[in-house]
Amino acid sequence: MAKAIEIKNFSYKYPDGTIALSDITLSVEHGQKVALIGPNGAGKSTLLLAMGGFLKGTGKVLINGLEVTKKTLKQIRTMVGSCLEDPDDQLFMPNLFEDVAFGPLNMGLEAEQVKSRVADALKTVGLTDMADKAPHHLSAGQKRAAAIATILSMRPEIITLDEPDGGLDPRNRNNLITLLAGLPQTLIIATCDMNFAAAVAERAILLDNGRIIADSHSRKIMWDSQLMAEHGLEVPSK
Amino acid sequence: MHHAYIDKFAYQDSIIHRLDSRVKFLATLVFTVMVLSLSRTSVSILTCCAVGPFTVLVLAKIPLRFAFKQVLLVSPFVLILALSCPLYDKTPLVVAFGPFVLRTSVGWMRCFAILGKFAVTMLALIALVSTTRFGDLLTGLGRLGVPNLLLIQLGLLYRYIFVLIDRAGRILRARAGRKLRNLGLKPELKIAAAMVGSLLIRSIETAEHINIAMQGRGFDGNWHSLSESRIHHRDVWFGFIAVSFILLLYFFVRPILQ
Repeated sequence: MAKAIEIKNFSYKYPDGTIALSDITLSVEHGQKVALIGPNGAGKSTLLLAMGGFLKGTGKVLINGLEVTKKTLKQIRTMVGSCLEDPDDQLFMPNLFEDVAFGPLNMGLEAEQVKSRVADALKTVGLTDMADKAPHHLSAGQKRAAAIATILSMRPEIITLDEPDGGLDPRNRNNLITLLAGLPQTLIIATCDMNFAAAVAERAILLDNGRIIADSHSRKIMWDSQLMAEHGLEVPSK
Repeated sequence: MHHAYIDKFAYQDSIIHRLDSRVKFLATLVFTVMVLSLSRTSVSILTCCAVGPFTVLVLAKIPLRFAFKQVLLVSPFVLILALSCPLYDKTPLVVAFGPFVLRTSVGWMRCFAILGKFAVTMLALIALVSTTRFGDLLTGLGRLGVPNLLLIQLGLLYRYIFVLIDRAGRILRARAGRKLRNLGLKPELKIAAAMVGSLLIRSIETAEHINIAMQGRGFDGNWHSLSESRIHHRDVWFGFIAVSFILLLYFFVRPILQ
């Protein structure tokens, strides 16, 4: 069976010549929860964009054995759900119901199927009563959960999340950890917060300067105080 | 940050809120066209016209104070235009209010007519947006044949105008926190230009991210909707009453008062 994600010698340069990712090779098994950790500017967000087929670099990115190319983009995007860093970028429809229904409608599903998926996604993130609300009426924690619901309604096999814990208070952060830990999908989470990463992911990939520095069990990497300090990170507090 | 949302009462429930967005939109449009087509010096009929939006606002339980505040908020633009009328048209005019006779000029009558038309049509518009959720309004417009592209633009404008206001507010607060004295016109303009530039760059970044979010969810340029709005008996009745009111004003009241 093909791996959920397979990246082979992938490199990407920004238009100004800055190398964002250099010779990245990694693979992720189905159902694995992986934390992409590293300091700001390490290339975490860029790698997530490459997984969603939003960047064209050199090397190969395969999702479920299918190479990401212009021709396969539509299939790739039904398999990979990308949740952006700022939920305001993710929630662009006038109300939450329409936002969560946006993906399934574009997939060409029947109205009843769409409604059922929207109801399921909103129930999973605990926002069933908020379906009619406009995104600007939601709190930061609700926006984050809503952004995840917009992805869940498409039922992707892989979900990528860019700094999902950003700006959340402890209660909302814990709710998010519980939500993510309970999802059956393969999760790739980019974060600078080691406590959050340790609570959600069993595997960690440490990136710095666009290169993979370490790739192992979360505990092995995140509790290595010397390694963490060398790359401007902290050991989790618990 | 909390804004004074233009549609903050649209989520209430009332007989007006439950009406189909298409009927409300068409009634508002026809009413606005009728008011704008009235004579440029006709003021008294505008009082009768105002009965329409007032009735809708009262039935929808929209606070009149809120409606007047919204009218005042945008009135400066029209005020400038209206106040210029007495300057260029000083033709004498005699106006009679029953036993009272007032000597004035055509310019002043035009000024009051512009302000009156503006207030009445704005009240009608406020009645529409305060009783219709923006998403429903867009769906209704789509059903009336408004092009998809325009609906997408309107939807994104409504969604992101508040994000932009938030950002501008944060930038202004950051400036206020560090600006301890008046710097003079030239440096102030330079700072303002830098602030607008920063807002523009962040808006472009946001647009790129929205594009990624839309593509990621399979957007292919076509706007799909699940709305199943149907015309009910109450919509037909509302349409009938609105049309009757507009016809009554135009064909019976106008000839008497004009």
